[in-house]
Amino acid sequence: MATKKLRGRSLAQRLAAGAIAIATVGALAACSSGTSSSSGDSGPSGKLQILVSSADASDAAFRAVDAAFEKKYPKVNVVLSSVSNDNYPATKSSRLTAGNVDLFVVKGMWETPSYAKSSESDDVRLAKAGGLLDLSKQSFMKKYTPTVLSAQAIGGKQYAVPTGVSYSTGIYYNKAVFQKYGLSVPTTWDEFTKVIDELKAKGVTPFGVGGKDGWPAGLPMLGSVGSLYPSASDKKALAKSLWTNETKLTDKLPTKVLDQTETVLENAQQGAAGAGYDSIPAGFAAGDYAMVPDGTWNEPTIASAVGSKFDFGYFPFPGSDDAKDNAYLNGKIELQLAVPTSSKNQTAALAWLKFFSQASNYKGFLEKSGFSSAQPDISTSAFLKSIAPYTEKYQPAWDQIWVANNKAGQDAVYPFNYPALKPLGSSTPEQAAQAAQTAWAAAF
Amino acid sequence: MTSFPFPRRSPVRISFGIGLAILTVFGLVPAVGVLVVSFTDLRGLPYLPVNWVGIDNYVTFFSPSKWPDSLNALQNTIIFALASTVVQIVAALGIALLLNRPLRGRNFYRAVVFMPTVLGVTVTGLVWSLMFNVSGGPAKSVFALFGAHSAFFGDPHLALSLVILVQIWMVVGVSVIIFLAGLQAVPEELYEAAAIDGATAWKRFRWVTVPMLAPSITANVLLGIVNALQSYQLTFVLTGPNNHSTQVLSLLVYVQGFGGASGTTLSQSQGYASAVSMVQFVLVAVVSLIALVILRRREAKL
Repeated sequence: MATKKLRGRSLAQRLAAGAIAIATVGALAACSSGTSSSSGDSGPSGKLQILVSSADASDAAFRAVDAAFEKKYPKVNVVLSSVSNDNYPATKSSRLTAGNVDLFVVKGMWETPSYAKSSESDDVRLAKAGGLLDLSKQSFMKKYTPTVLSAQAIGGKQYAVPTGVSYSTGIYYNKAVFQKYGLSVPTTWDEFTKVIDELKAKGVTPFGVGGKDGWPAGLPMLGSVGSLYPSASDKKALAKSLWTNETKLTDKLPTKVLDQTETVLENAQQGAAGAGYDSIPAGFAAGDYAMVPDGTWNEPTIASAVGSKFDFGYFPFPGSDDAKDNAYLNGKIELQLAVPTSSKNQTAALAWLKFFSQASNYKGFLEKSGFSSAQPDISTSAFLKSIAPYTEKYQPAWDQIWVANNKAGQDAVYPFNYPALKPLGSSTPEQAAQAAQTAWAAAF
Repeated sequence: MTSFPFPRRSPVRISFGIGLAILTVFGLVPAVGVLVVSFTDLRGLPYLPVNWVGIDNYVTFFSPSKWPDSLNALQNTIIFALASTVVQIVAALGIALLLNRPLRGRNFYRAVVFMPTVLGVTVTGLVWSLMFNVSGGPAKSVFALFGAHSAFFGDPHLALSLVILVQIWMVVGVSVIIFLAGLQAVPEELYEAAAIDGATAWKRFRWVTVPMLAPSITANVLLGIVNALQSYQLTFVLTGPNNHSTQVLSLLVYVQGFGGASGTTLSQSQGYASAVSMVQFVLVAVVSLIALVILRRREAKL
């Protein structure tokens, strides 16, 4: 084989070779993130990037608003990104870091109590650090219900538009099945267990639960806390006494929350732990089960699955033996939209929020999303009217009050340890409560 | 005087330089970055201050409140890596031996075995989610024939095994290819000589095939272990990020770094996630090195 001794190379040649290499890497690494901004002088224009966490109904509602907005402002190109709940924080983080989002959903936006300051949510930190635009003085904020706004105020300021209110502690029921077996809507825990037993005796599966996604199996837990700790002050007192370790998760009432959750889970359809949340409306419509613990946000999807096959209704989870405690649905402020200060098109973002907040547009959004109104004097859908007696008084759900401890283990996140219950996990309510208490106590 | 097989050194230097630069920018710098970040409380969101917290994140990982979760993830990772590597190697060797024989449609079968590797994680996840769909998938129908039922990926006792099964299905093709390449390099004369000496089929396999395949086995075991110890994508797609029974270390990194838990106020902490990934790096490095040493010694003996 022919070989050749190499010539020595000049410094210039080496530098040139290095420069070429670096330039090549630079070219490979370069990525464009061109976000056009608005001109500002003749109304909004350019690209408006919106990031939301997805649900079929709210996605459709946002798309309708976007289309109407583009029609009014033809120079604006709205790009809606809808990301699943599990992937949302990661996407939000990268989009904010890249600075290519103008409007996005913030979560956990409520003032953290002093006892839990170390566990402030990301978005509250973001707001306090100046990462979100202060919307307090924007005229469209005046359209929203003051009590809703005060529930999401951080340091007395408003950082997000509440797109609506949803109730998460109710149960959909098949009216035809209830009528067929002479059952009435249960208002106490005793009546509820009788309904469950009666349905089972007739060979009807009581509940449909999408356990594979995890959180849907936590809705009965929210319902149970909602009725065992009926008022907002009861829930706040519970949260504080857990953080100060005066109440233990193994105490009688907290264990009862897990007992009641287990009652629902053990009476759910076969394979509930492996069933996806999206498959539940179809199963309910097919008559596979008579009841579904779900939020009001899913009503449009359930209604379209059921069609005209039968009528369905919605009642609050009756966890207490006193019907008065079970009288109200507990809710949450739905997708809260904030403008990051890094937004390159704040003009369009604010114009979109103003447009969204106008009564006619907002009404259209509510119809499609299934959310209850966060603005006063907006008439709601027939379904929401039917549950009006349960929503007269806005009661925040447990997950709107509880601040999880970042230092505690996974068993104490909610902190009622429903993921450990059978069939999602393999524990009894007592074992799950014990595991939660151990994980919780170890954090202090 | 040095000798060099190419006429000039500059093209080699340039191409090596580019490779090295890419590796440095996209591999080495992020790796050192992760080490540095593991000593901070970085949250991955702009505007939030980043503080130096020393070894706090490591202390937290081994602290009494987080240790049960950490231990669970460690256990799941080791079970996942061991089971998937061992079964994958045995299955791949069997398939490779079969596909190395004169067989009608052999290339077609080889393509079929390799196809899942091409599909990628998301498609594989979707395919198997449908297979094990609890409201009417084929697996449910098969179980029903025997009067049984299961929540499959939702069953805490079964989920990890099913994920391992899918992982093996997805990656076995690569191992088969490596074994096939190894098998084709075994000289036919060795088998003939063994046959003349009266060796049975098993003896020919044990004393000719296995020793000659030793380098392929080493490569496959190492690739399998490293791949399995780092894998989380399939677990994520099939069982979600917060399923206790399938949570592996890399998934813990993902959840801590990018997710928190949906529906809670838990904040993400990329600092803590980096610390977990450094623990994972040490685990992967130690296990791989031990495996490499053992396999090399064994190769020498064979």
